Amino acid sequence: MKKRVIAILLSALTAVSIVGCAGAGAAAPAADAGSAEAVEEEAEAAPAEEEAAPDSIGSSVEGELSITIWDEGQREGLQKIVDKWSEESGIKATIQVVDWNNYWTLLEAGATGGELPDVFWMHSNVAQKYMENDMLLDLTDRIASSDKIDMSNYYEGIVNLYQSDGKQYAVPKDIDTIALWYNKTIFDEMGVPYPDDTWTWEDFAENAKKLTNDEHWGYAIAPGNNQEGYYNTIYSMGGYVISDDKKTSGMDDPNSIKAVKLFTDMIAEGSCPDLATVSETAPNELLSAGKVAMSINGSWMLAGYRDNEYTAENCDVAVLPYTSSPDDRVSIYNGLGWAASANGKNTDAAWSLIEYLGSKEAQIEQAELGVTMSAYKGTSDSWVNSVSCFDLNGHMKMLDAKLVFRPYSRDTTVWEDMMIEKLQDAWTGDKPVEDVCKDIAEEMNAALAEE
Amino acid sequence: MKKKASSRQISEFIWGWIFILPTMAGLIILNIYPMIDTIKQSFFKAGDFGKGNEFVGLKNYEKVLLDGEIWQALWNTAKYAIVEVPVSIVIALLLANLLNKRLKGRDTFRTIFFLPMVVAPAAVAMVWKWLYNSNFGLINNVFNIKVNWISDPKIAIYSIAVIGIWSVLGYNMVLFLAGLQEVPRDYYEAASLDGANGLQQLLHITIPLISPTIFFVLVTRIIAAMQVFDLIYMLIDLNNPAWKKTESLVYLFYKYSFEQSKKGYGATVVVLLLAVILILTVIQLIGQKKWVHYE
Repeated sequence: MKKRVIAILLSALTAVSIVGCAGAGAAAPAADAGSAEAVEEEAEAAPAEEEAAPDSIGSSVEGELSITIWDEGQREGLQKIVDKWSEESGIKATIQVVDWNNYWTLLEAGATGGELPDVFWMHSNVAQKYMENDMLLDLTDRIASSDKIDMSNYYEGIVNLYQSDGKQYAVPKDIDTIALWYNKTIFDEMGVPYPDDTWTWEDFAENAKKLTNDEHWGYAIAPGNNQEGYYNTIYSMGGYVISDDKKTSGMDDPNSIKAVKLFTDMIAEGSCPDLATVSETAPNELLSAGKVAMSINGSWMLAGYRDNEYTAENCDVAVLPYTSSPDDRVSIYNGLGWAASANGKNTDAAWSLIEYLGSKEAQIEQAELGVTMSAYKGTSDSWVNSVSCFDLNGHMKMLDAKLVFRPYSRDTTVWEDMMIEKLQDAWTGDKPVEDVCKDIAEEMNAALAEE
Repeated sequence: MKKKASSRQISEFIWGWIFILPTMAGLIILNIYPMIDTIKQSFFKAGDFGKGNEFVGLKNYEKVLLDGEIWQALWNTAKYAIVEVPVSIVIALLLANLLNKRLKGRDTFRTIFFLPMVVAPAAVAMVWKWLYNSNFGLINNVFNIKVNWISDPKIAIYSIAVIGIWSVLGYNMVLFLAGLQEVPRDYYEAASLDGANGLQQLLHITIPLISPTIFFVLVTRIIAAMQVFDLIYMLIDLNNPAWKKTESLVYLFYKYSFEQSKKGYGATVVVLLLAVILILTVIQLIGQKKWVHYE
């Protein structure tokens, strides 16, 4: 008798626990999100404090605006700006923060069930999908009749990103730039002058060698550091990642190969740590631990470096090097957009808020408060003074460099992940860089053909 | 001739169902319905936001069978289970045996061994990630060695299995301790009078008598080990050279369903996992007749 009971119990348990998979898979990243090193490194820096796991993305309620974002670090500043809008409009609006990983899971669930917040952030990874499925409010006509918003005032790549079929679905919020972070203490110790706007990529490699000894390396890069690494050199050296029509890969372009080789040569020489090291400790962590003299990072890393005692004390930031003339100094950029739910209950109020957030006035304030650099051209100057421990001109001046929008297509992650995996062989030197890049181009072309 | 049920039997029948109703409802809504839905999804190519799902028949299954990455992931998962399950059971059994004796500070030890079970897996993974770090980690620095514990494709999955063993030890141990409580003392007294030593007592008295518990732990642990996800998710990222050799089936499911939004294909991966676990469990249910002793 007992035996049969146990047998039945076990079979039931098997069936049940397996299917639990489906649920567990969705829940697991939720639990991990706070302490996880963001899988998407290009994502805005994850909030430092772990939030209680949220269970909803927020929904549209009549008479009150709900706003959802994923960066706790920006909440305070943005709420101040939103409060000003509330004073003018008389409508209450509150910002809810949902961490990066949960944000996308919940936003998708919300979109599927028809429950989206009134106003929320959009990102290049998924924008196309949301626009094509009419999840976002079409802002085209409202923008045309607005005296505050003119799309030509914003950086072009961000405007285009949130366009589909000639319609505009989001107003640009901010812009990020890539710059060269360095450890002043190591530079002093090794007697190397600090990086400045005269450096070429050759100087960069040369100096990295000089900055290497048994204690630390000159520079560190992982195969995943694309926007914060080889994408910049690829465009600086005249190569490309994806063609303008998003149909063909440029990874087999001789200039692209040369641009990747710059870094793999440094690894072979020993002025960059090997793959095993950077896969266990990310380059920005190595910089924060005083183990590398230089690291290329996006402006979204600022909060992390500012709040870290060691980096605040020892590090600073300079512009990226160029290839043959300062004109080819490249920064790969990206930017968020403010979008509204297509079937929210307060679409007029939502538009009014987005219009305000995109206005010159609010964009200047966003920079002044040190939230981020702004997407409205020429409004970011005051951002430089928002942090005292670094000279943010390194990031700021990259706005004057050749700005190239972060390469994307409809399903960017598919080929981007493939590229990262394949580049490992180039990092370890198991395969020549040329072969790896040609291989990547071939698979990427196949992936693009499927889109 | 069929006997008519007495009113007492009918009332027991009704009340019985009422009592299990809440559990049944929970099971159906949270487990059985999603299970059927998952199987259904595996025959579709998922559209965005649950709209426009396209029926593709067995196409997903054909793709799974030909996908080298899936078989590699299955093999990785199997390697993890082969190490984690037996080792954690043997160690837990020995520990339970030891902690079942009258020992000073017994409760303290029991608590210590159970502690890893209480800690969040994410925190466990972060601490072990630091221990394993090849340059700055405690293990390599204390022993003055240079082993790439979690970035060498050959050993990374075993390093992860070690964390798995450490984490479940306490849970297995508590189950065994419970099993040991039911073994009558007089058997041991009789055995020691006959001159049986500790090892003989363990092999010939303890293990046969708690074999139902061992069987239960074995089956549940294999199921859990085949579903390993969080440790790998926390420890290994795309930059890691051991990536391909540590990806588990559930990880692939996560990747397809949530990172790449290919929900249909993700569902197919889970159904494959379901099939594998069902087969393993059926084999164990048959095999138990040979070694599990019920009183």
